[in-house]
Amino acid sequence: MASFDVMPEVQLFQPAELDDALKLADELGSDGWLLGGGQDTYGWLKDRAKQPRAMIDLNGIEALQGIRKTDDGMEIGAATILRDIIRNEDINRDYSLLSQAASRVASPQIRNVGTLGGNLSQDTRCWYYRRGLDCYRAGGNICYADGPQSMNREHAVIGASRCVAVSPSDTATALLALDATMVAENTEGQRVLAAEDFFVGPNTHITQMTALKPGEILSAIRIPKKWASQRFYWEKVADRDVWDFALVSIAVSMAMDGNKIADSRFVCGGVACTPHRLTNVEQAVRGRTLSNESADAVAPLASEGCKPLNYNHFKLPLMENLVRRAMRG
Amino acid sequence: MSNEYKLIGKDFVPPDITGKVTGKAKYAEDFRADGMVFARMYTSPMAHGKVTSINTEQAEAMEGVVGILTAEDVPEVTAPDAAILTNTPAYIGDPILAIAAETEQICEDAMATIEVEIEPLPFVTDPLDSLVDGGPNARTEGNAYARSREGSGFQTIKWSQQQVDDFRAGKEPTGDFVSEWSYGDLDNSFAEAELVIEEPFVTIGYAHMSMEPRTAMAYWQNGTCYVHGSSQSQSYFMPGLARMLGVETKDVVLISENTGGGFGSKIGAYPIAALPGYFSKKIGRPVQLRVTREQEYYMGSARVGFQGWIKMGFGADGKITASDVFIIEDIGPNATGGDASSAGGAISMVYDPSAMRFRGLPVLTNTTPRGAQRGPGQNQIAAVMAPIMDKAAKVLGIDRVEIRKINSTNNDTIVYADRRPVTSAYMDEALQQGADMFDWQNRKNQPKKKGKKVRGLGVGQGYHSAGATGFDGLVRLTPDGKLHIHSGVGNLGTYSFASTSRAAAEVLKCDWERCEIHRGNTENHLPWSSYQAGSVTIFSHTRTNYVAAMDALDKMKRIAAQTMGGEPGDYDIDGQRVFLIEDPAQGMSYGAIAARAIQLGGDYSGAVYPDDIHEITQRAVQNIAGSGLIGVAKDNLHQEGVIPGLAVAFCEIELDLETGKYDILDYVGIAECGTVIHPKGLAQQMKGGAVWGMGMAGLERHVYDPQNGLPANIGYHQCGIPTYLDVPSVTKTDAVNIADPQNPFGARGIGEPAMGCSVAALQSAISDALDGHIFGRTPISPDMVVNHVMGRDQSFLPLQTNNF
Amino acid sequence: MDIATYKDDVWGQEVLNGVSWDLLWLVIVLAFIFIAGHAIYETTRKRAQKPSSKGARVNRHEAIDRLFHWVMAGSVFVLLITGIFPIIGLNFAWLEIHWIAGIILTIVVVFHILRSFTQDLSSMALGPSDLKEALDETVKPGKYSPAQKSMHMVVSILTLLVIGSGLIMFLQIETPWWERPNSLSEATLGLVFFVHGISTLGLIGVICLHIYFGLRPEKLFYTRSMIKGWISREELNAHHDQQRWNPDETT
Repeated sequence: MASFDVMPEVQLFQPAELDDALKLADELGSDGWLLGGGQDTYGWLKDRAKQPRAMIDLNGIEALQGIRKTDDGMEIGAATILRDIIRNEDINRDYSLLSQAASRVASPQIRNVGTLGGNLSQDTRCWYYRRGLDCYRAGGNICYADGPQSMNREHAVIGASRCVAVSPSDTATALLALDATMVAENTEGQRVLAAEDFFVGPNTHITQMTALKPGEILSAIRIPKKWASQRFYWEKVADRDVWDFALVSIAVSMAMDGNKIADSRFVCGGVACTPHRLTNVEQAVRGRTLSNESADAVAPLASEGCKPLNYNHFKLPLMENLVRRAMRG
Repeated sequence: MSNEYKLIGKDFVPPDITGKVTGKAKYAEDFRADGMVFARMYTSPMAHGKVTSINTEQAEAMEGVVGILTAEDVPEVTAPDAAILTNTPAYIGDPILAIAAETEQICEDAMATIEVEIEPLPFVTDPLDSLVDGGPNARTEGNAYARSREGSGFQTIKWSQQQVDDFRAGKEPTGDFVSEWSYGDLDNSFAEAELVIEEPFVTIGYAHMSMEPRTAMAYWQNGTCYVHGSSQSQSYFMPGLARMLGVETKDVVLISENTGGGFGSKIGAYPIAALPGYFSKKIGRPVQLRVTREQEYYMGSARVGFQGWIKMGFGADGKITASDVFIIEDIGPNATGGDASSAGGAISMVYDPSAMRFRGLPVLTNTTPRGAQRGPGQNQIAAVMAPIMDKAAKVLGIDRVEIRKINSTNNDTIVYADRRPVTSAYMDEALQQGADMFDWQNRKNQPKKKGKKVRGLGVGQGYHSAGATGFDGLVRLTPDGKLHIHSGVGNLGTYSFASTSRAAAEVLKCDWERCEIHRGNTENHLPWSSYQAGSVTIFSHTRTNYVAAMDALDKMKRIAAQTMGGEPGDYDIDGQRVFLIEDPAQGMSYGAIAARAIQLGGDYSGAVYPDDIHEITQRAVQNIAGSGLIGVAKDNLHQEGVIPGLAVAFCEIELDLETGKYDILDYVGIAECGTVIHPKGLAQQMKGGAVWGMGMAGLERHVYDPQNGLPANIGYHQCGIPTYLDVPSVTKTDAVNIADPQNPFGARGIGEPAMGCSVAALQSAISDALDGHIFGRTPISPDMVVNHVMGRDQSFLPLQTNNF
Repeated sequence: MDIATYKDDVWGQEVLNGVSWDLLWLVIVLAFIFIAGHAIYETTRKRAQKPSSKGARVNRHEAIDRLFHWVMAGSVFVLLITGIFPIIGLNFAWLEIHWIAGIILTIVVVFHILRSFTQDLSSMALGPSDLKEALDETVKPGKYSPAQKSMHMVVSILTLLVIGSGLIMFLQIETPWWERPNSLSEATLGLVFFVHGISTLGLIGVICLHIYFGLRPEKLFYTRSMIKGWISREELNAHHDQQRWNPDETT
């Protein structure tokens, strides 16, 4: 068993224009690797678990940078680093859910180079898969994490299909709760996907985490005005307070009508292969006030339909507790 | 020695600091040699197996590949010892072969073409799975390994399913074991007890996590093997390294100026340090083997895990009457352990039961090889004992600090099975000092619950024996008036090589600026020194430097008497001069004394030296003989009894009942290690130990997939070392600072207890926050707390180990 | 083009992963080349006049057998769509539909096998005489022609292989009735995947031919008989030896 841990020969392209990057992405297809902050790149390449022919460095493309106000909210370039999102006044004022989530990503060092696009597109952290094993997700025919003795404390409790890995992204839950859309571009044009459609599960795409196709680049993330300056709740429970992935996290947006909830989004991270919307909770909280009674009433709905693995049934009460906390006001 | 020290007890800037903060410090992998090639390893993908074929044809044909080293090129060893390379791997990551090439990239490109066929053999990752009837054995020779003075060897020990089930259910184990010791009348002592507490426990092992992997570079010159390695010790590393290289100690030069952590995993020579030497000999070029982070996790050693049962008897007054402990220790594939008996010893020392029995069963697993890790055994049991002491205090209505004071070690305590005295011990004083500093009485009366958050107060005690004797000291005064302190102490980042060197300067009243420490390279003429483990360095090397300096002092006075007349006793020293006590104006500078020593020769210049010094010291003296006045001696100072290093910690946490997470709000650590030699160094030890203990209490553990024998933790992230936000922003420390009579400066060691008290305090605080619930397990992770609070079963089997 | 794909097992030893799906295109291309070739050959061939479907009718397939056939055909199509589409990049949640269809196929195949024991097994049995019969245009078959018997034989073998391997795979995934057991060695699992894949590819090939022949003008009456149950007396006379197969008349 080689541990490799050394960069293999790989070409590096550093386009300055998005069009050039799209052309490269198109030409290289699945042999190309989009490079953002590199935090989910170099490990894969050094371990030789992924063997692209070339990297396309997106960091020099101005069109992918920056945080802009738009008629319908905000647009964030996919290569914008997380630190800039955390420090942006407009986001902090109107969409603090996102800046809170971004501020709990990994560590300050990683947030200084890690991009929003990279955080959203990152691969799952299932330790079996990250080991480079040829599991379902890697094109094999088995899930090592879902056996009778598998060590799967961090894995999915809902939405699994053969693969039981979870989405590790903190910003993904927040963006889903903000009804964000993702702009995916290729040489033929662009398509705009709802955040819910951007993240894909193993039942449909067992080897992918997002709906991006080879040759496509996530260029921007758009956040509609709908949830601007509404009530938000964000919490992430991880073993460590820095540099760790969520055991369970929650991102909540609530539009209040007086003291009652008119509309809401409840999204859990760390429980499914995609950010997991708690639609039954959203329905149940409509018209309710924020109170201990409401919290206790709706919390049990959070874990409905969940099916724990060997080591992760604690996620069910944790999901319920996080909903409870969001509802207490 | 006088209490008016000039250097002892004072802070200073250790000479290696600048290099570390500027990045100029050189570690093993920073060295290059002419013609050097790089080596990389192919390690076992299987937890246990037998290599049936190796095909390196393609690799060898690749441009830039210089050679292949396999098990056939290195000495064969007998199981369970670890080989440099093996054809019978016993854990995932066991090295099988190495490739040398012009670059590391070529090495790895070549590695990708290697074909190794391995026949799988039965494997096991949890000792109880091996112990149960019909369970697999980690080695074909057996599943247990006993080490004792009477003889060591494999055994096959099986328990019935019922015996394992009963053990899991918390009952006293009834299966076979391999070692036992006891003292006192156990049955009577339990019978007299007012309260008897029985608890099963698990402490999961975890990696040593050295930041610098065990990299080594080696080349040969005129029959001498030069090894740039990563070692905790310097001189102590040498004989083992020579043995592994198949040469005499005199034919090895070890260069290890800085070490990026060892924590017990780099005490003595380890096999992989000898690999570049063999490879270099085979291909005739210098070879550097840079071990990858992943490989460091495979082979970089890990703490021994415990699965055990303990029974404690308490009198109505809180005094511990009896202790009965049974420990199954996970000794990995190489039967490296011994933690369990040390844990028993720690119970004897810290809690002083009138009667005690220890039974131990070391079981082999196909997991990372185990090694001593900071407080090996003592710290695991510290974690186990803290909540038990709290429970006893609660039931008996005694304050939790008070019950520890009632049982505290003091100067009259007799410890261990052989009932030995201690050199000195002030646990009571440490507890009181800590309680005062922490404001225990006041805090314990504060309200406990605030919404879904609950406060927990913890107190923990740590212990490790903290001193060894019989090593050598070597100092040299040169004609330029400088004092050269030759230290064979390794630089593992604790500054102890420097702080113990100051003992010589103190004796010789030498300005620290005029002292130079020689270390880090055999060619710097270093004496035989201790192992920079077991918390011994401060005690041992203040003594060795003391005896060497005293030897120098004696010689200086004799030279002065010989040169200026009178008796040696008529002379004293100060201000870098030897002077006549009656007329201080008459004297000789240190430089002049040194020059005179060279002229006089004999023992003054090192031409003659004591015959009881180690051969390594002898060679060092031979090499520097004639360059100045030589002070050299073996530490034959009086020593009897156990030398305890003790520490206590207090902490307060706020635990969130809904998430299972806690914040450590405050932490106080008190060292009881005799005289403080280097306050900042001590504070760093106490703080570093505190962080480590917090990691052990709540975060760090091995996780193995038992179906495939796969380790989950092969990177920093997965291993869960505490981060800045997981520890309190301020960690307060202090020391009792009462001199020990058996050290010339009153000092004892502290490294290991500094951690044990922390893990114990945190376990105690978690238990306190949860109304005295005893998880009986390290680490306690948020999921366990959530499951407990919500009344749910835990995910794991009782006593399961190496699991989430 | 590879026949199989390989992967490293959990211990880095190379094992079978499954069939190489590149073969799918080969199978489809070969099937269409055969079909095209056959179609061209048939158009150049002098053909006897097509018998009339009018007049008296004889019973060829009982309703229960026709139902079996179409349920089987339906489930096979669902299985192929759910199994193959995701491989060629058309992603949807296929797994549950696939195994449910697989169970249906298994049930109907078991039913068919059991029922076959109540039927004239020899009518479908392939023997040495069939070879002679196939080569001699003057000899008319009984109920089934050698080509039909061959098709049935091949389909039977492939279906049994695909079902057998599919059932083993089914046992290895999570279902409402059991958890994933991960009980097979990866080498065995790879072999099972390979068998499932290669038999699927075989089925795709023969199904292409089956459909083609079923739609050929001179054979269309057989398709009709599989829908409606009957063929005309004239068709019977033209294509079958009534000494060997003399079905009842029907309305």
